[in-house]
This record gives sequence, C-alpha cells and structure tokens, in this order.
Amino acid sequence: MPESGELALVIDDLTVAYDQKPVIWDIDLEVPQGALMAIVGPNGAGKSTLIKAALNLIPRAAGSVLFYGQPYEAARRLVGYVPQRGSVDWDFPTSVLDVVTMGLYGKLGWLRRPGRRERAKALAALEQVGLVEFAGRQISQLSGGQQQRTFLARALVQDAQIYFMDEPFAAVDAITEAAIVNILRELNKRGCTVLVVHHDLQTVPAYFDWLTLLNVEVVAAGRTEQVFTLENLQKAYGGRVTSLHGGQVLAAGG
Amino acid sequence: MMGLERALIELLLHFITREDLNAFLRSPQHTATLVGCLIAVCGALLGTFLLLRGLSLTSDAISHTVLLGIVLAFMLMTGAGLEGDTASPWLIVGAAAAGVGTVALTEALQRSGLVRQDAALGLAFPLLFAIAVILVSRFVDDVHLDDDAVLVGEIGLAWANTNSHCFARCESLRIRPEDPAAQQTRHCVNCRELNISPRDERAEFIEVCGNCGVYTPAQAWSAGLLDEAPALVFFPKSITVMLALTALTAGFVALFYKELKLTAFDAALAKSLGFRPVALTYALMILVSLVAVGAFDAVGSILVVAFFIIPPATAYLLTDRLSGMLLLGPILGGAGAFFGYDLARGWLFGIFPLAEGIAALNRLFGLQLPEAWDSSISASVVLTMFVIFLLAWILSPRYGLVASGLRRANSRRRFEDQVVLAHIHNHQDTPSQAIELRAATLHQHFRWTPQKMSRVLMRLRALGFVSLEAGSAVLTERGDAHVHAFRNHMLVAHNIPDIDPTQS
Amino acid sequence: MAQRRVWLMIVALVALGVGLLPLSQAFLGLRLTYTVRVVALGGALLGALSGALGCFAVLRRESLLGDALSHAALPGVAIGFLLAGRQLGALLVGAGIASWLGLRLVAAILQTTRLKQDAALGIVLASFFAAGIALLTYIQSLPDASQAGLDSFIFGQAAAIIQSDIALLGGVGLAVVVALALFWKEFKLLTFDADFASASGLRSGLVGALLSTLIVITIVLGLQLAGVILMVGMLIAPAIAARQWTHSLEQMVALAAALGAFAGGSGAVISALDSDIPTGPMIIVVAFALVALSITLAPGRGMLWQQQRQRENRRHLRSRRVESGA
Repeated sequence: MPESGELALVIDDLTVAYDQKPVIWDIDLEVPQGALMAIVGPNGAGKSTLIKAALNLIPRAAGSVLFYGQPYEAARRLVGYVPQRGSVDWDFPTSVLDVVTMGLYGKLGWLRRPGRRERAKALAALEQVGLVEFAGRQISQLSGGQQQRTFLARALVQDAQIYFMDEPFAAVDAITEAAIVNILRELNKRGCTVLVVHHDLQTVPAYFDWLTLLNVEVVAAGRTEQVFTLENLQKAYGGRVTSLHGGQVLAAGG
Repeated sequence: MMGLERALIELLLHFITREDLNAFLRSPQHTATLVGCLIAVCGALLGTFLLLRGLSLTSDAISHTVLLGIVLAFMLMTGAGLEGDTASPWLIVGAAAAGVGTVALTEALQRSGLVRQDAALGLAFPLLFAIAVILVSRFVDDVHLDDDAVLVGEIGLAWANTNSHCFARCESLRIRPEDPAAQQTRHCVNCRELNISPRDERAEFIEVCGNCGVYTPAQAWSAGLLDEAPALVFFPKSITVMLALTALTAGFVALFYKELKLTAFDAALAKSLGFRPVALTYALMILVSLVAVGAFDAVGSILVVAFFIIPPATAYLLTDRLSGMLLLGPILGGAGAFFGYDLARGWLFGIFPLAEGIAALNRLFGLQLPEAWDSSISASVVLTMFVIFLLAWILSPRYGLVASGLRRANSRRRFEDQVVLAHIHNHQDTPSQAIELRAATLHQHFRWTPQKMSRVLMRLRALGFVSLEAGSAVLTERGDAHVHAFRNHMLVAHNIPDIDPTQS
Repeated sequence: MAQRRVWLMIVALVALGVGLLPLSQAFLGLRLTYTVRVVALGGALLGALSGALGCFAVLRRESLLGDALSHAALPGVAIGFLLAGRQLGALLVGAGIASWLGLRLVAAILQTTRLKQDAALGIVLASFFAAGIALLTYIQSLPDASQAGLDSFIFGQAAAIIQSDIALLGGVGLAVVVALALFWKEFKLLTFDADFASASGLRSGLVGALLSTLIVITIVLGLQLAGVILMVGMLIAPAIAARQWTHSLEQMVALAAALGAFAGGSGAVISALDSDIPTGPMIIVVAFALVALSITLAPGRGMLWQQQRQRENRRHLRSRRVESGA
C-alpha cells in the first residue's frame, strides 16, 4: 500500500504531437496519492490525449510519466483505464459479464483462461455498479448509462491503484451519474487515485477535490478550491467563461 | 448510333484519306490505345468524385454486378434469336439498371442494421458475380462471353469488331436464284425423315441457292461479288461506344460541376442549400455502371475498377484543386493506356525491355524462362497506371515520400527546438530551476539521448536563443520573444479547426 | 436456453454434413466416387477454417481488406509457379507472401498519403490482380504443359484437390485452429477494445500481427476452394450468417465454422459433379443462401422478428392513444 503524501503520478515535460503539430505541450503535472482529480478544458485541449499518452497508447514526442516512481511498463498492474464509451462497437457479440471479465485478462497473462475465481470477481464488480442482474445480457441491449457502468465495472476488477477515466459522465442518465460519483468516492476512500476527464464545469467543485485545467498546456493544477477561479477558467477557455458565482459557471461551448 | 458514327467519319475524312483512316484503325495498337484512353478519361472523371466522397469501392461493386446484368441480357437476347452483342444499347441500359440496383441493395442491407457497410458490400458483389460466373460457365457458349473475357476483356481485338460505312459505289446487291452468280446446290428433302443416305434411290432433291440474299456493299466485296471495291470505312464499335460515353460523362461533369463539387466536399451543406446529393449520387452511379458496361468488352469486369480508382488517386497526390484532379486524372489514365500496350509487348514506358529483366532472373536463379514477354494488354495498362501511381507517391513535389520526408526532418528539428525552448521558459525563475535546467542533465527530462540533447542545445545557442549561465540553460531575450511568438501562433491556430477541403 | 439452441444448431449442421454424402447417395442416386469424397472433405475443412477466422475479419471491420488481400495473392501464385513449378506448397507460400505485401502496401499508403482506406484497398486490389493476370498470361505462353490448373486459383477448383493436398491443408489448418484456441482471450480483447487491451498490458502490436497472419493464411488456403475473386464471400458470409443467431463470440465462431464447412463441402461436391460449374461461385451461392436465411429468420434479430416487434409497438402505441383519447 503506497503511503499518503507519496506522488501517485508524475508527468514531466510531456509533449505529444500529431504530424509535428503539438496537441499537448510540455506538460508538468504531479498528482498526489489519493487525489480525486478532474481534468477539464475546452474541446481539443488534449484531455484524452494526455491520458492516452500517459498510458503509452500513443507515442510521446518528449517527456516522461512515472506511476509511483516507476515507468508504465513496470507499473502496469497498478493502473486501471476506462476508455470513452464510443470507442468500441457495442454490437460486438459478447455479454456484460464477459466484458467485465476482460479487465482481468492482463493479470492472467498468456495462455491462461478465466475461470471461476475471475467470474466471481466480475460479478462482485457488477454488484458494485448495480448491474448484477444484467450479467448475462448482450451488450448491445444496454442503455448508454449501463454501458458506461459496464466499463466502470471492468476497470474495478483491475483492482488498480490509479484510475484513468475518459469522459465517464458523457451523455449518461442521472442514475448512472450518481452511481459513478458513488464509485469515485468509494475508490477514493479506499485510497485509490482517480483522474477523470470531465466536461461539465458546473459539477467540478461538487465531485472533485483536485482539478487540472488544460488547454494544450497546463493552465492551473491543484486543489479545486484554489484552482477553480474565474481568472483560471478564462485563461483555459478564453473569454467564453463570463461569470462565476456560487459555483455557477456560465460557459459557452466546451 | 450508326448515324453519329457516320458523321464522325465524314468529319475525319476532311483531314485524312480513307485509306489512311482504315490503316490506322486496323492496327490493333492504335485502336486498343484509343479505347483504353477513352475508358481512362471516363473512369478518371467519375472516379475523382467517387474518391473524394469515399465511394471508390462502390465502383468495384458496380463493375461486378454489371456482369450479371450483361449475362442475363445476353442470355435473353440469344434466347430470342438475336445476335448476342455486348455493345447493344438495350443491354447497356439493362446492365446499368443492375448496377444501380446493387447500390440500392447494399444500402438496404445496411439500413436493416444487421450488416455493416463494408460487410454489405463484401457480401453483395461476390454473390452477384458468382451467379454471373455460374451462368456464363453453365449456359452461355459464346466466344464473346467466356471466363477470359470476363476477367481481362479483349482490348487487343477491339479493332476487329467493326461497323462498315460506305461512301461511294454503295449499291447493295441482291442475288436471286436465276442470277448467274447464284450457286445452286442440291439438298435432300426426305433423307432425315426416312433415315436414308442421299445416295439411296428413294432420296428426293430440290435445288437450293446457297448464296442468295441481300448483301451490304461490305459483304458483297468480301464475298468477291463486286469487280470494283466500294469506298468503305471500317470503324471499331468500341471506339464509338466509348466516345459516346466520354461525351456523356464530360457533359455531365461540366453541367453539374458546381453541384458535384459541393457534394464532394460537404454533402450536408449541399443538402441544406437545396441541392439533392442523393439524386446526384445515383446519377453518378448510373454513369459508373454505363462506363463499366461500355468498357466490359475491352477490359472485362474486374480490371475496369483500376480505371476508376488509380488515376484519380494519383492525381490526388499531385494537386489540391478539384479542377486540377479532373485534368490530371484523365491524362495520367491515358498515359497508362498508352504505355500499357508497350508493356504488354515487353517494354516498360517504351524504354526498359522486360526481356533483359527475365534474362537476369534466369541467370540469377538458374531458371529457363522464355525471354519474350507477351502478356494481357488490359492487365498491362493497369500495371502501368500502378507504376505511375508509385512514381507520384514517391516523387510528388508536395505529398511525395521524398518531399514529405525532407519536410518532416526539417520540422522535427524545429519542433525539438521549440520543445526545449518551452521547457526552459516554463522553468526559468521557478524554484525547480536548478534541477530542471542544468545543461548536463537536461536530456533526462525529455527522455532523449545526451547526444540528441547536446545537438539541439548547440543549435539553439548558435541561433542565439539560449545561453549557458553557471551550467544552466537560460533563454536570451531573442529566445524569449521566439517562445512567445510560437505560443501565440500555436494556441491561436489550435482553437481554429483545421479547414481541410477533403473532410466532409 | 438461447445458448443451447445455437449449440444444437451446430451439432445438427455437423451431423447433416457427415450424413450428406451417404444420404445423397441413397436418395438422389448420386454416385460419389472416392475423388468426390476427398473433394468434399477438402471443401468442408477450408470452409470451416475461413468461417472461423472470418468472424474476426468481420468484427474488426476488415471485410473489404479481406477482398484486397485475396486479390493480392494472385501474383504470388504465379511467381511461386515460375520459381518452383506446380507444387501446392510453393504456390501457397508465394500467395501468402504476395498477400502480406498487399497488406503492408495498404498500410503504407494509409500512413504516408492522404488517400483513404477505400482508395488504398482499390489500388492494391486492382494492381496486384492485374499483375497476377499479366503473369498468368505470360505463363500460358510457356512451352511447359504443367501450368494447367493455375487458372483454378481465380475461380477456385475444388476438383483439383488431391489427397496429398488434404494432408497439407489439414496440417496448416490445424495449426491455425490451435493458435486460435491458445490466443483466444487475446484475440477477443483486441478485437473488442484495442485501447483497453494495450492499457491492460497486452502486446497489441504482436497479437494484431498474429491475427492478421492467421487471416492471411486462411485466405491463401481458401483460394483453392473459392478463388481470389470470391474468397471474400467465403470469409465473411458464414460469419455474418452466424452473427445473427448468437450473442457470444465463442458460439459465433463455432457456428460460422459449421456453416462454412457446410457451404464449402456442398459447393465443392456440386461443382465436382458438374464440370461446367466452377467451385468458388457455387460455394458463394450456398453461403449467401445461408446468410439470407439467417437475416430473415434468426430469432430476435432477423427481419421477420424486427417487423413483428414494430407491429407490436404500433399496436401498443395505438391502444395507448385510444386510452388517452378516451
């Protein structure tokens, strides 16, 4: 168990470019152990790119990322990932339980097949997200929110120390939103570190205790109450954020 | 069609003597090249719009299905006692309908939600093609429609299938039984009925005229019935068909240029402006079907796809303008047709002899391959187009591998400079400055090799952007200005979505 | 329950396949020689293989890539013949190499130019096929008579399969099935969610290359049966048919293999009985008949069921409207 006060994630001078055009630019970011952090910024700010580059899914032009002091290859077991819901084909012939079990494939390694123990773990994760009665359901028959919760369950069985979630709140129903928030809190209580790409400025102060404002560069990062200021938001979103009172943000677009 | 052909010949006869014209058209090379060029022009014009709309493989589907239309119509025509002619206008219309039908069918399959687009295409055209091939092998017994014709066509024989036009001494000739030229033969009328041989004494005979009937001037001349040759021009049917299709295609593109351009770049906008992209798409598909049918005799039903796809793709690597593509595509395709004939006879671009290559292979592997290369013309045309594509891919001034490789190396250098400058800028005058900016350990922050780091640093110092103070890298005033300029440029550029005319 | 239905279907198909030869002998009076049995066995083996691997091609949205790859194999067959003569092994190795080159070329065009996938596939498909045709025409001019039968790679010629071929095809096919079983979990995860696969520690580059290789091998083996032009149908039709009946990947692959074997075996036999019917087209027609049956009838998903559901919805809606109106 990592001690508190340790840094869960250290991003140092990370630059990612598509075709020599920078998408994220010389980013330094330190995330303390146990933080529940939102990554927020306008469209095209490089939020998803940041996560994907951290997880080695896309090549980096420069920079390094350390998880608990180790590079990604060594720290793989500590990392959980929830990709964007739209990134897969939901008409794929497989069941909810099956998708959740996929979260254990990495730990199983080559040649070993999932057995009863893996099944039990997957069912437990489904219980947590409130989908246990859907275990045998084909994934195309799920609502958007249920799909999102399936992905969340798949990440839960990874039993990771640090979670990366790409837009889990995008286009989900109120029940799912509440369920996700509960799980985030639960993970946080267990001492996990969670980074969430988020698009809704209104809910940031309520859901997250840490915040990174991103627009190609890190505009500001730190505790939400210190970072979530009109000045910072305007820096990140340009002039489109007009006022900020009582947690109500008026932002055009984003 | 005949009338148009005649008018065309009359026009040509103003510039060239009849004998020269006949001699020109009788050369397999001339006719094949001409037909090939015309197919290439049609294909490139239509293919450009297919390419820009991501529909290139639809031309593949259509060319396969059109075969089924041709085979069915062919069988109906021979069944009805007509001569099976793959250039008959009715056949063309029927086959075009089949082509459009496929597009509708695949779209219906897709809309059912059970099968995705690529799979729907991948299902529909093998099926229709398979049925056509079974019909050809099982029921059609005709030289114009066998497996070989389906695969590669007979562009080398296009010169032989002609319409004859007569311009002088054009009496048609009728031979009656009483004419001296008539050849009378005896024919047993009851031999089959009685199952006896004609030598049997019960056999009864009538006199039959073997060559009676009406002769066109051309037929009369070739049957040796005329003393003096009529003034004939033999005009290959494929040239006429392809000329008509070229005119149709070019007319369509010219007439609907604006609409086609708009739908190619932004179908949604075109719709909102009141154009009808769907109708335009179907018009495009009808033309593709027509060209596929018209080209069937010459290049078969599979290789024709290349004429729709390769020249426009090559042009796309060479120019950004739609008008440029519409001009370059036909020229590149025509070049393919022109040099393709040479390739079939063993010369690549008329310069490199394939025979020497084969000889080298023989020496190298100890093989005994015949050095004379004589191959399918249509396949060679396609190969030549592909070679031209490869050349453009490598050498294109803007998008070629060489040019973009050079450009990338250059911009990578500049990019590395910017990464380092931004890093120094971000950490200068911060508490971590001493750690982050020490020149000796700077490479660790970027995960670069020390060599690469020192190369970049050297360049930055030479440019006067960075100086070393007490072992740490520091921005000069000039460097600072440079970072700010780049950042403004980059962040501003970033918030404006890229305008790429090819994205719809 | 739905689970059991699909397994029953698979068993029934296999039983039908095994019983097909004796039954047709008994009831239709067909005289099935030893050769025909060999052909039927070969057809069924190759059909099963392409059915199984085709599932991954369809699910990875690579149906048309399969088409380009099978066309691309043709010049390899011709070059294999020129270098080594008519030995099935050499022809297949040549086909495999050419097909793999086609795959790399598509990838290279996509990476380094602004052409999109449809154009890249079309270019490779047409030019490799043309190269194959040009080489075959050249080969026909060779004095050696042994070139007979190369044409069979264009439309497929199951009757040309002989017993020694069966051993080769069976051996390679078995290796493919074993690889599929060993890396099942990896293939499944990669096909469903490549990003998550990489993030959870799977060597996706390696696994993807392995899967592509298996698909190329399947295509190359299947060429004898369906031919380069129609191979794509053999690859994807059983998979699409099977997809309609089940919601599990395991069942889909098993059912696709059974359907593929049925189509391959029966198509091969029909064409062996009538020399005027080429094998490839016949198999495709059988396979598409299976697809048509599946997309109309498959419970829950087929068109008939969709219509039924729509009708019920409409009735439901109407009765609700009546209620609210009253």
